[in-house]
Amino acid sequence: MSAPDFYFAVNEIFRHIHDQYGMEALIDYWHKLGSEHYRQRNQRWRAGGAGVIAQDWREYFSHEPGAEVSVIEQDGEVALDIRICPAIHHLRTHQREIVDYFCEHCDHVCGAQADAAGFAFQREGGMGSCRQRFVPLSVAGVA
Amino acid sequence: MLGCQDFCGYYDWTFQHLRRTFGQDALHRLWAEAIASAQQHYTNAGLAKGLRGLYETWVTTGEDEQCDWTFTLDEDRNVLRWDMYQCPSKGHLIQNDLFADEDYCDHCMGWIHSMLDRIGAEVMAHEHNHCGQCWGEMRIKGKPAQSLAGREGDITADARWQRGYLDRWQGKVKLPLLQGSPHDPVDVLTQWFADSDALTVLGRGPSARDGWTQDHLSGAVIVTDPTYVTRDVYDGQPRAVLIGDEPKALELVAERFLATPQNERPLLMHMYLPAAPMHAFARLELPRPVPVLPLLVRQGLYRHEPHAPYPTTGVFALLLASALGKHVTVAGIDLYQHDSGRAYLNDQHHPGWPAKHSEACDLRHIRFALERLGEQACIHPHLTSRLV
Repeated sequence: MSAPDFYFAVNEIFRHIHDQYGMEALIDYWHKLGSEHYRQRNQRWRAGGAGVIAQDWREYFSHEPGAEVSVIEQDGEVALDIRICPAIHHLRTHQREIVDYFCEHCDHVCGAQADAAGFAFQREGGMGSCRQRFVPLSVAGVA
Repeated sequence: MLGCQDFCGYYDWTFQHLRRTFGQDALHRLWAEAIASAQQHYTNAGLAKGLRGLYETWVTTGEDEQCDWTFTLDEDRNVLRWDMYQCPSKGHLIQNDLFADEDYCDHCMGWIHSMLDRIGAEVMAHEHNHCGQCWGEMRIKGKPAQSLAGREGDITADARWQRGYLDRWQGKVKLPLLQGSPHDPVDVLTQWFADSDALTVLGRGPSARDGWTQDHLSGAVIVTDPTYVTRDVYDGQPRAVLIGDEPKALELVAERFLATPQNERPLLMHMYLPAAPMHAFARLELPRPVPVLPLLVRQGLYRHEPHAPYPTTGVFALLLASALGKHVTVAGIDLYQHDSGRAYLNDQHHPGWPAKHSEACDLRHIRFALERLGEQACIHPHLTSRLV
């Protein structure tokens, strides 16, 4: 069920947690969401490596209405070239006020997922289009 | 990124995160404030066109979310009613075996009350069965309204309505789960066992009826449904019966229960696991069993892992007993390794672990329960030996 109005709730949940409990609580929420809710998905990523991560994101974005995304797997890493972010696009189309830290959820949710799978997460850009990378921890110089 | 395709899954997870981190009220505030704000288009439509505006918005949402429902507007009667035959949102959780929060379905009333307040309307009544079926009626405040209940399409006449347990609202008031009980299943369970200082949990393993068990039976007894039907493990009147995920003789449970004087009847309980078959308890004129997972989830004793083994019914009963914080005697949980070679008291063969269960899963949860109980646990020596 890919109903884009759900992005409205995502945006408002972020705002609510941020305004009520602070940025630290919001980051904690994102991090736990990535590591706990997506635990089984992360295990599949860890077991399958870059190929599985790339296929997972291809499948994922194919169900996100309005998304324009290329997923590139090369040299053991995965890059997501997000030309149209479906969430930002839908929120803007409906004149919703987007929290200015909206894109940071990717850093923390995907960051926690990547970490659990043995990868580092990097993002350049945001608020509508960005480039995201999942780089093996050994290559990223973290491990 | 967090997409919309699996939103319901992380929405459910978010609810338990809010409850666990900031408390119950924090979750109610999230629904009333953040989710109601996210649904601003309902508020705008309601302010502009009243019930008709809400009707048009909900119909559009229903198309987006592929709802199997009917939405009926009768402006002459001042009522807007929905009958949900299969909720896609709860359906997503059931289909994907997700159960993070103690009560996902409550979120709808959580934001709808708040949204209706903003436009001068209110919920007349609402019920949901936690299996994907629900109905509700709304009206503009201060004007006479007439219910559309009983008309063609009323979900309560559908066979699926007989499943699950009901949360019911009259206006903003959540009604008791059972007659005269609190509305919160956690409170219902706590209250039911309030007068018992000690509990005995009887599984179905051969140790449930040996000399040690006979000597140590104390307090209120909790059994599983096969024991309630056959009386083989325990032939007294149990205080509560935990009906397993795949009861084989629900009709016989009903037969014994309904033949028992009302004031001696046990509390019927059930796990309502998302991927387990749904049973039409109400069809048998049984009271809908009280859910035990809300208590276990709230106390951090159980976290559902999608598509993974889950505890056997006896172990769920032990988790429940440990959550209630009483002195607990446990017997008959033999992990299918009793010295007699029998899996159950009256079985001659050892079939091994049933599907959907595992020794590792049962052991992990038994340890959770015993750790919680500490000195309050009295464990059958057979199980003690397996825990070493």
